[in-house]
Amino acid sequence: MAKLTLKNVFKRYDNSGKKKVKNDYAVKELSFECVDGEFVGILGPSGCGKTTTLRMIAGLEDITGGDICIGESRVNDLPPKDRHIGLAFEDYALYPPLTVYDNIAFNLRAKNVSESEIQKEISRIAPLLKVDDILEYKPVALSGGQKQRVNIARAIVRKPKLLLLDEPLSHLDGKMRQVLRTEIKRLHKEIKCTTIIVTHDQLEAMSLADRIVIMKDGQLQQFGTPLEVYDDPVNEFVAGFIGEPPMNIMTVKISKQEGEFFFDFANSDVRISVPKRYYPVVKEGMSVRLGVRPTDVLIGDENSKGSKVKVAVFENLGEERRVSIRVGDEYLNLTTAEEIRYKAGDTIKLEVNAEKTHLFDINTGDRIRVK
Amino acid sequence: MARIELCNITKKFKKVTALDNINIDVKDKEFFVLFGPAGAGKTTILKTIAGIEFPDEGHVKIDGKIVNLVEPAKRNVSMVFENYALYPHISVFDNIASPMRSPLYKKDEETVKKEVYRVASMMKIDHLMERLPSQLSNGQRQRVALGRCLVREPNVFLMDEPIAHLDAKMRHFMRSELKEMQSSFNTTTIYVTHDYMEAMSLGDRIAIINEGKIEQIGSSDEVYYTPANEFVAKLLGEPEINIFPAELEMDGRGLKVRMLGQENLIDICDDVAKVLNKKGSGKLDVGIRGNDVKFSFEKIDDNYLKGTVYIVEPIGNKTVLTVSINKQLIRIIAPNDFRAEMDSSIYIKFNMDNAMFFNGEDKTFIIRHNQDHYLRR
Repeated sequence: MAKLTLKNVFKRYDNSGKKKVKNDYAVKELSFECVDGEFVGILGPSGCGKTTTLRMIAGLEDITGGDICIGESRVNDLPPKDRHIGLAFEDYALYPPLTVYDNIAFNLRAKNVSESEIQKEISRIAPLLKVDDILEYKPVALSGGQKQRVNIARAIVRKPKLLLLDEPLSHLDGKMRQVLRTEIKRLHKEIKCTTIIVTHDQLEAMSLADRIVIMKDGQLQQFGTPLEVYDDPVNEFVAGFIGEPPMNIMTVKISKQEGEFFFDFANSDVRISVPKRYYPVVKEGMSVRLGVRPTDVLIGDENSKGSKVKVAVFENLGEERRVSIRVGDEYLNLTTAEEIRYKAGDTIKLEVNAEKTHLFDINTGDRIRVK
Repeated sequence: MARIELCNITKKFKKVTALDNINIDVKDKEFFVLFGPAGAGKTTILKTIAGIEFPDEGHVKIDGKIVNLVEPAKRNVSMVFENYALYPHISVFDNIASPMRSPLYKKDEETVKKEVYRVASMMKIDHLMERLPSQLSNGQRQRVALGRCLVREPNVFLMDEPIAHLDAKMRHFMRSELKEMQSSFNTTTIYVTHDYMEAMSLGDRIAIINEGKIEQIGSSDEVYYTPANEFVAKLLGEPEINIFPAELEMDGRGLKVRMLGQENLIDICDDVAKVLNKKGSGKLDVGIRGNDVKFSFEKIDDNYLKGTVYIVEPIGNKTVLTVSINKQLIRIIAPNDFRAEMDSSIYIKFNMDNAMFFNGEDKTFIIRHNQDHYLRR
């Protein structure tokens, strides 16, 4: 167990042979710190540098610049085996001729740990990962979920300071994925080892991690708790990446009428009032990106001053119901758990939860904040 | 435009029975969804209608006529595949036009052009007509594939997971678009999916398929609120419905249930009690969805059961709280800012008004409170 610190980490691959290099750096100026015992998710779309980051922490990739520290010691130049790390990859990479027991024992034997000690360790770890019934099996007889359990057991049996998981669930089918996700979180509570999980699935990161590192194009976008990144995104990328169904993010133009500001949606006659708190930062004629989650778009009652709009699509999805309103080529969606019923063509009054709206700069995508 | 009937269809692949006595009657212009897990036989049903697979037993009828011996091209069906299957070497325009240039359904080029542009503007791809499929995004390719399917006036559209390959954001968007366009299809549509949200959103009726058999056919309200059995109940909804055994017991004031090894008995609604009473003894299962469970850190009344927090999973707009009571895990939908320590104590209360009761032996649905209300909608 130890904390992990990344300070200004860069990774540059030698691309001199290739013509089109969009981005010289795979990872750029990356800094974050995980406290001892924390569960941190590294999240981003494919190609964002998240696996490269994990591999640098593990020592499988050289670091072009910056420092990585495990505990208090700088590990930049330490070989992987001396970093006290447990690693589990997406593809289980078990040794096919060995039993589950021997697979888990493999690394301990390589370190000349005594057989009695190995047995003690495995009998401690196996029940945690529910592999105690399959210790005599060979990998070929195991399901995908079982293989990944063995893989993780093998990673933690060495009592690592740091457990690194690279997309451990992405090969599994829906139900198994959910079960193992729950168990990984329970396991973390038992062993209390500082854990880093790399994933492209925001739901996985949100449900597992204490805090999430969100990356794009090799750079850190935001580092925060699941609620922080969901409720208080720093830019349009994070806002759009986190949350399912996705946030409505649309271009609006500010107009002014009788002293009041309005958001006018592009290519549409839909408009909503600008919440008063934005008055200091908006100007008439200015275009911004307006973000509001489907759960924060509301249907007004008969006294509502909201703009009258037509329901384009109504969907009853079981737990929730969803109304889509046409705004140009896009939909503005609202979802609610309430037992409403509408049909296409019905008129509703559109309101938004003013506190939960976000404005983004139309050029940079950065959040426009109100002091 | 046509009515499609499958009568007693059985299909075997060597020793495996892929379809087991399937009966479906799809009305003219209906949007009919085949829904089930992977390997259930959904695509085999679609192929049987298209004529790509031949049933070992039973009849396929289009508008009352048996078409078992009619070859696929002459059945006048139009199919969209999950993997788009566009012609890579010709433009978007030519791809969409291709069905109208086939020998069997040949139209003059003027009609072709008109039709292609009508469909392309509906699918919002009219600005991409000169591109090759390789120059399109996945979402655009799927639109072209759908457009190519819609361009004719076939007896029936057959759609095999048309949006399953798209990323989550695009899938939500395309689902809404499909739903919005539905009324303009004006043609019988049979749609295969393994996504319950697509099934519930799009289907006038849904057939739930499992291991080559039909578990239930009904509207989205029917299958969600009155599932035929536990399999159907578990397939619809996220997180999965909580189902666990319960026992009926009589106390001084009427019929009650005992569940999760608790001391105190839980009240049930009168209309439910009446039906369960008639059924008599025998094993019983209770099904309660995650949004029908209240929770509290204090015991508010006797209907609150004590458990421990097994796990708390924030997933954005809500948090899934899993509580362990007597080794049974209960999944509950909580507000998105809900947090609790694992293994701490918590009390939960089931909203028995929305509980479903199943036969504990064969897992079929028995009753829920106010059942007629759900079936009338």
